[in-house]
Amino acid sequence: MHTHGKRHRSWIAISVMIASMFACRGQDAPMAMGATGKAPPAGSGAEAPGAPAPGSWPLPGRNAQGWRYSPLAQITADNVRNLEVAWTFSTGTARGFEGQPLVVDSTMYVVSPYPNHVFALDLTKVGGPVKWHYLPATAPASQGEACCDVVNRGASYADGKVVFNRLDDHTVALDAKTGKVVWDTKLDSIEEGATMTMAPLIADNEVLVGNSGAELGVHGWAAALDLGSGKVLWRAYSTGPDSEVKIGPDFKPYYPQYKGKDLGVSTWPPDQWKLGGGTVWGWMTYDPELDMIYYGTANPGVWNPDMRPGDNLWSAGLFARDPKTGNARWAYQFTPHDSWDYDGVNENIPVDLTIGGQQRKVVVHFDRNGFAYTIDRLTGQVLVAQPYQSLNWATGVNPQTGKPDRVPSKETHQGVNTTDICPSSTGARDQQPAAFSPRTSLFYTPSTDLCMDYKGLKASYIAGTPYVGADVRMYAGPGGWNGRGQMIAWDATTGKKVWTITERFPVWSGPVVTGSDVLFYGTMDGWFKAVNARTGQELWKFKVGSGIVGNPMTYLGPDGKQYVAVYSGIGGWAGAIALGLSADDPTAALGATGAMPDLPKYTAPGGMLYVFELP
Amino acid sequence: MRRAPNVVASLAVAAALLAAACKPEQGASANASVTSASSGGMDYHITPTASNGVRPGIHPSVVFGEIRNPYAGNAAAATEGRQLFVQYNCSGCHGGRAGGAMGPSLRDSLWIYGNSDPQLFGTIVEGRSAGMPAWGGRIPPDQIWKLITYIRTLGTPAEPDAPPPESDVPIPK
Ligand code: HEC
Repeated sequence: MHTHGKRHRSWIAISVMIASMFACRGQDAPMAMGATGKAPPAGSGAEAPGAPAPGSWPLPGRNAQGWRYSPLAQITADNVRNLEVAWTFSTGTARGFEGQPLVVDSTMYVVSPYPNHVFALDLTKVGGPVKWHYLPATAPASQGEACCDVVNRGASYADGKVVFNRLDDHTVALDAKTGKVVWDTKLDSIEEGATMTMAPLIADNEVLVGNSGAELGVHGWAAALDLGSGKVLWRAYSTGPDSEVKIGPDFKPYYPQYKGKDLGVSTWPPDQWKLGGGTVWGWMTYDPELDMIYYGTANPGVWNPDMRPGDNLWSAGLFARDPKTGNARWAYQFTPHDSWDYDGVNENIPVDLTIGGQQRKVVVHFDRNGFAYTIDRLTGQVLVAQPYQSLNWATGVNPQTGKPDRVPSKETHQGVNTTDICPSSTGARDQQPAAFSPRTSLFYTPSTDLCMDYKGLKASYIAGTPYVGADVRMYAGPGGWNGRGQMIAWDATTGKKVWTITERFPVWSGPVVTGSDVLFYGTMDGWFKAVNARTGQELWKFKVGSGIVGNPMTYLGPDGKQYVAVYSGIGGWAGAIALGLSADDPTAALGATGAMPDLPKYTAPGGMLYVFELP
Repeated sequence: MRRAPNVVASLAVAAALLAAACKPEQGASANASVTSASSGGMDYHITPTASNGVRPGIHPSVVFGEIRNPYAGNAAAATEGRQLFVQYNCSGCHGGRAGGAMGPSLRDSLWIYGNSDPQLFGTIVEGRSAGMPAWGGRIPPDQIWKLITYIRTLGTPAEPDAPPPESDVPIPK
């Protein structure tokens, strides 16, 4: 951390100069898409269609495709070892920070976990002082409805508005200049167990949001709000009749098991779909070229699978929808009749890849269930599905049928303690998103290597309380206690690992990859790391105050310098034990505590933003 | 200060509700102590426990007098309380063996709202602001006392259905 007054003065001078340069350049104008508007082939290093200005980070994954790629290249494999703290900011909220800051127009936007403070920090001034602060009247009782810590995964910016979700089910748009509320739309109710934790995605003047609470018998949905007014344009449920799921004549799924009327009702016992979960709390993505949105749905309602025989559509799956109407175009289910809490919420990243000599438009998805899928994003056909983490609940995914080949001895049942199931409910990955580099054509996915014992219990539904019905205990997977996490570089054309970094704790932080092939990510024990994106070689690390479960980002300051920012604040599901849970109950935190008893020896709660720079 | 009248009113109402909802054969002694504490609606007994009659925090005993768990130390009641803890989904929020999750750990030494009999009873009946539901209209007092009996056994040799053993995690050099 530097405190040299001299350097600060020169920094101000430079920043004022460069700020005026940028003002003329219109930093937020989208970059030209190229004459054809076609996505460039991977490996070219070119950005995706509709990419934001190179130095900005307006959406959770920077671009609408969620690549978490920045073309900035001042910080390189050679000089990253000199990185030092530029400034820090304490949010006053010591819970899990799963999101990332945004940077637009020389302002950084920070959203905290409950009570969902929003800060605008002025990057034109030394140390990023507060331009405005907004504290919503988030209902305190929402804290008791959030399954996996009172997290918030960040905001989205467009058209002078910063849009974020409150834990108590409001989507709020603030004026980016003043912090004043432009609109505030309430979308669900904590009395029913619903919360909102995901980061909205703004695509084409629409705000796309979804709810959380599949552990409380919530009826999952995704919705689009008008960016100007906050009016709900459409809402599509994840279970129930076709009219509620928005399945109509446009719906053309690839596999036959998704064809038929009202499958969101008939693949459940009577009325169970109403408590059927399938919430939409992950990262949504948008492909402007095909004009389609993609998102995953959570686990089916009640974890005890014997209470809901059937495939339980459309839980633990993926929807491709028309953003204008919300109508489903196709769907795919990763885990039919989920018996392990394998949500399908992980993001679906649109890229164009050469597979078997052919140029294919695909989405790539790393699922909780341990398989990484490369799926044709026009049709929903599975092209590649390979394990990226140790798993034993299935032997593979059949691309002909789209179905997993399940292992009967790993199915879970009421009253039976099924042991040694991999991955655990926290998944081969939970919320932490992957990154994609158009330079290396590789995906970079954080991962968790845990296994579990799982016993179904009869659960009674009491609105606003957990509807789980499972006694779960988790522990280290085949990688052992010193290898409960990994950062993996993945070739999605073949479904193979290119390199792997092993970490002691699950990697709960989604990386950013840069135009100089440097990859940044954090660990739960509080190391912020830079590695070579081509080789996985560690280049630099820095110990922050509290463990990292958020996603680093990088931006160009008004002084023309590249900065890297990350939240430090342990929490989330796997990190909950560091928030004061009792280690002598391995079934605490829905079983996650058993896998993390040593975390409190490494970290304690915090809630701090760190910004790094080259000297 | 602002809190006290709410506490009084809601506990009185909840207790009255409970008394009405309860079958007579269920935990008669438990009912008796609660109803007498709230008999006469807003009339309550003042039993000062400090020289000036007030105490910091939430103290139902200040307004209702001491109420006691009729099942204190009763092993069968603790076992029943354990079952109720799962049945009413307490375990979903507080952890499989109450080690914490969406709600705080009930196994540790830290009590936000206190762990005297009246305090635990008040917490469960009234609910608490950061998301603890108010169970007053749902769980009969007799069962609440059994839940409290179970909570008191946590981490002791008397705990029914104690947690599975902790994993032996190697600490690296
Ligand atoms: C929907 C989640 C939820 C359910 C279900 C729930 N609790 Fe709670 N409980 C909480 C939360 C959250 C708190 C903390 C409240 C606060 O800090 O204001 C809490 C607090 C408590 C406390 C006080 C702890 C202290 O430190 O003072 C007790 C005792 C308790 N709960 C017992 C129970 C029992 C018994 C049940 C089942 C009948 C239950 N809870 C069901 C969420 C829940």
